[in-house]
Amino acid sequence: MTLETIAAVATAPGEGAVALVRISGPDALAVLESLLPQGTPTPAVRVATRLSLLDPVSGSPLDTAVVTRFAAPASYTGEDVVELSVHGGWITPPLVLEACLRAGCREAEAGEFTRRAYLNGKLDLVQAEAVADVIGARNRALHAAALSQVERGLSRRIGDLRERLVGVEALLVHHLDFPEEDDPPVPLSRIVAEAAGLESDMEILLRTAPEGELLRDGAVAVLAGAPNAGKSSLYNALVGEERAIVTEEPGTTRDALEARVQLGGFPFRLVDTAGLREAEGKVEEMGIEVSRRYLSGADVILFCEDVGEPTPEGARAFLKDLDGTPVVRVSTKVDLGADSSPEGDAAGGWSCAVGVSVVSGEGLDVLRARMAELVFGGLVGVGGSVPVLTRARHSVGVRSALAEVRSFREELEGGVPVEIAATRLHSAKTALEEVLGLVTMDDVLDVVFKEFCVGK
Amino acid sequence: MNLAYDVVVVGGGHAGTEAAAAAARLGARTLLITPDLSRIGEMSCNPAIGGVAKGVVAREVDALGGVMGRATDAARIQFRMLNRSKGPAVWGPRAQCDRRLYPAAVRRILDELGSLDLFQEMVADLLVDGGRVVGVRTRGGIEVCAASVVVTTGTFLRGRIHVGGDTGVDAGRAGEAPSVELAEGLEGLGLEVARFKTGTPPRVDGRTVDYARLERQDGDAHPARFASYVQEVIPEQRPCWITWAGEDLKNVVRENLGRSALYGGSISGRGPRYCPSIEDKVVRFPEAPRHQVFLEPEGLHTSELYVNGLSTSLPADVQLAFLRTLPGMEEVWMTKVGYAIEYDYFPPHQLRHTLELKEVPGLFFAGQINGTTGYEEAAGQGLVAGANAALRAKREPPFVLERDQAYIGVLIDDLVTRGVDEPYRLFTSRAEFRLLLRQDNTPRRLGPLAAARGLLTPEQAEVLEERLKEEDRVKAWFEETAISPESADPVLRVAGSSPIQEPTRAVELLRRPGITGEALARAGKMPEGGSLDGVLAAVEVDLKYEGYVERERERARHLRDQHDFKLPEGVPYREFVTLSFESREKLEKVRPESLAQAGRIPGVSPADLQNLMMEVRKWRRERSA
Repeated sequence: MTLETIAAVATAPGEGAVALVRISGPDALAVLESLLPQGTPTPAVRVATRLSLLDPVSGSPLDTAVVTRFAAPASYTGEDVVELSVHGGWITPPLVLEACLRAGCREAEAGEFTRRAYLNGKLDLVQAEAVADVIGARNRALHAAALSQVERGLSRRIGDLRERLVGVEALLVHHLDFPEEDDPPVPLSRIVAEAAGLESDMEILLRTAPEGELLRDGAVAVLAGAPNAGKSSLYNALVGEERAIVTEEPGTTRDALEARVQLGGFPFRLVDTAGLREAEGKVEEMGIEVSRRYLSGADVILFCEDVGEPTPEGARAFLKDLDGTPVVRVSTKVDLGADSSPEGDAAGGWSCAVGVSVVSGEGLDVLRARMAELVFGGLVGVGGSVPVLTRARHSVGVRSALAEVRSFREELEGGVPVEIAATRLHSAKTALEEVLGLVTMDDVLDVVFKEFCVGK
Repeated sequence: MNLAYDVVVVGGGHAGTEAAAAAARLGARTLLITPDLSRIGEMSCNPAIGGVAKGVVAREVDALGGVMGRATDAARIQFRMLNRSKGPAVWGPRAQCDRRLYPAAVRRILDELGSLDLFQEMVADLLVDGGRVVGVRTRGGIEVCAASVVVTTGTFLRGRIHVGGDTGVDAGRAGEAPSVELAEGLEGLGLEVARFKTGTPPRVDGRTVDYARLERQDGDAHPARFASYVQEVIPEQRPCWITWAGEDLKNVVRENLGRSALYGGSISGRGPRYCPSIEDKVVRFPEAPRHQVFLEPEGLHTSELYVNGLSTSLPADVQLAFLRTLPGMEEVWMTKVGYAIEYDYFPPHQLRHTLELKEVPGLFFAGQINGTTGYEEAAGQGLVAGANAALRAKREPPFVLERDQAYIGVLIDDLVTRGVDEPYRLFTSRAEFRLLLRQDNTPRRLGPLAAARGLLTPEQAEVLEERLKEEDRVKAWFEETAISPESADPVLRVAGSSPIQEPTRAVELLRRPGITGEALARAGKMPEGGSLDGVLAAVEVDLKYEGYVERERERARHLRDQHDFKLPEGVPYREFVTLSFESREKLEKVRPESLAQAGRIPGVSPADLQNLMMEVRKWRRERSA
């Protein structure tokens, strides 16, 4: 056995009251003991114990720590784990870590604890990825989706789908491998119905994918409108009020201003193309300042109009080319005009209309809520009853499983022999297993022997 | 008396006879030793060969030049193609056989082989020299030297028969002595040993059965043959009979459960789930209203019937009592008592794909000793073990069948890679390429492989060549012949298919649902020529389902790539820290030969496989540096 013991500071560096140093591996306890004064009793498992830590070489005091031990396999990584809660700051945590390394472990690579948890079967692939999303989330919606994934919400759902596929395979196996048995043959109509049920459940899950994937990248909201329609003010208002959780990333876009903001709990990348006035983006004949490139990539468009100067009908012609992207008609500067509720019907090409004033702040909350609803409405609608697919990897897997199950059902209905159509089910199962990073095992026969009395 | 052979085969059952015949066909001087030569090729349990998946194996054995297909044809008293209502990839040929004709045919076929000798004795020990097996010693003290030894002891190793709740009787089969010294000798080699149980039902006197109250089951109107190379004479045909075990029988079983060896606690070995005893059925499926019971004829010249479906370890009086609850069997006389038998097997992860023991060069195992059940499974292993025993003696490269080539390949790979936790039987669902592994295409799949390695006799090879030519000719006819609307439309109408407007190639019509090759061959007036049995079927499936078959071939090729990534003997799995602890342990235990095999070990995940590939590459680089 040469499995190495690893250690790392688990908390972010810097001044903080407490920092956590985590040690995992077969020698975790030995590493801890080499930091303790001679004669210290070994701390009990899963009991927080206050202990003095000494440098293993010089014997000089390092810190007083609260120590918690976990014994394999009942730990995060599935190995022996020791967690040292030490004082935070710039000096103590690295000092304690260094002492651990001298006591015979190596520094963990990024994500290595979670990786070990995955390899030791404590987490599946979806959960392991979600751990990173819980840590890295910058919006509440992604955080919620990821947390549910860590708690096996999505894994369970995909696991259920896989179980049901195994169930259909078991019906087929009974049908094919055990003729002349006590149980009558399974009618094909039952198999077709089970497949159709699986299809519709996979479709429901897939409906969360476009929005779920946006939770990680942020939905692109593009500000459009005539010069001086109030785009930049609106941009600043939406960004500015959310300053605390906004990252401006000027280096990431050379040709437009882009900011990551959280609106109504959902992530947006707000794009103001005002800076393009001289460079390109001016669609002359329409008088619309916006880059077509941005429009085509937008998840929602905020079409700004000065409440006093409505945009001419012709200038809205571009809305027709948008292929379903929602457009919010934003009447800016409502504090200056009388009409604060512009028309925003579908006939005009609008998804909805909002009047705002960046001066008074009027209407901004409504606008945020409308944006969240237009882009992430599906997620709000399912209200946590359906787990969310947050990665392309998830939807690719489920979609290919769906395609296989559909082909299976259609072929069966079209008179293709059962065992030939059945090759599809195998592919569908593999696709789901890949999402979970599962061990592939043939457990179909187990189901058969449980459900049917076989054997003459 | 001291003897010397290239190959010695211990045991004369379905594994032993195929092993001896394969070795002899390869030209090895071969000796088959068994305690009772009159029981060579004995059918210890049901008088039938084949079934779903198993029937394909019987055909595979035949295509590889083996004995089983011919013996089945020569002893067949009923033929049914199981699953005929389903797709052709899962058809399973099955034959009821005459219990006396079958072994007689086996003996006759073995006698055709010049370099095979038979000898009646019980083998008591192996001759071992420097860790390798170099021969056997019989109970009578005769030593036989051999380059390779194939052990096929079936249920005889420390066999113990149970009827009722007593402590059991030592026996290898009813009325035959078990093999105890050899079991001890094998254990002495340091091999891991474990115990399984299986069972057999009672037999009854057909003269005491009221057939009028039973359902009659006849064979197919157009029976097929198992053998592709040699046409045996087929005996008269007989029906089977069906009756049903209902509440009365269940009550008898329930009341006497405590007297069952299985439920009374005298049996510890694990039995097969797919072949449950009647005790198991009653306990595990209390809601089932009734259980089917097949009465199978034991032969042409006996009235005895095999009672399929009522395997049991209850005492004789209980067996007779429950038999008499069956409709039509109220007055029945039981001729033989059913029993359960426990026996030693050697967990098969200790084997290579050649069925040679990893740790004991020169020693091969085949059949139930490897934890399998079934005549066909035994025969398939016997053939592979015997061939490799001979090839080893001749210092030639091994003969291994892959998972995409044969059910025999699936069987052996499952044994070696996954091990067994109940007696292993083949199902079509164990094969990931079941569209390729059909009963209709065994000569094409396996004949050329066998011929290339010398496993076919010159006569067999000649018939094979003829048959493959015929298949090519029929295939070309379908691909090249255009059928006119007038000829095609009657066929299409019957199948509910839309009519054609202009002459259309037969292969295109064949791909329509419900259109058979036979109907098109008639409509298009395919020249009859010397059309051989089964040629049309083989060609038809390949053409009709070409797209699907091709998809499977593609998957098989993908697997081959992984297969070609070899894992050398000395790979230090325990040091590969990027793999999960569980996989490292499993890999260390199984020591797979290729990446593909590693991927089939339960507990080794796809992620582990990726890491394994990288680790092995790194290890190779470091080692060569």
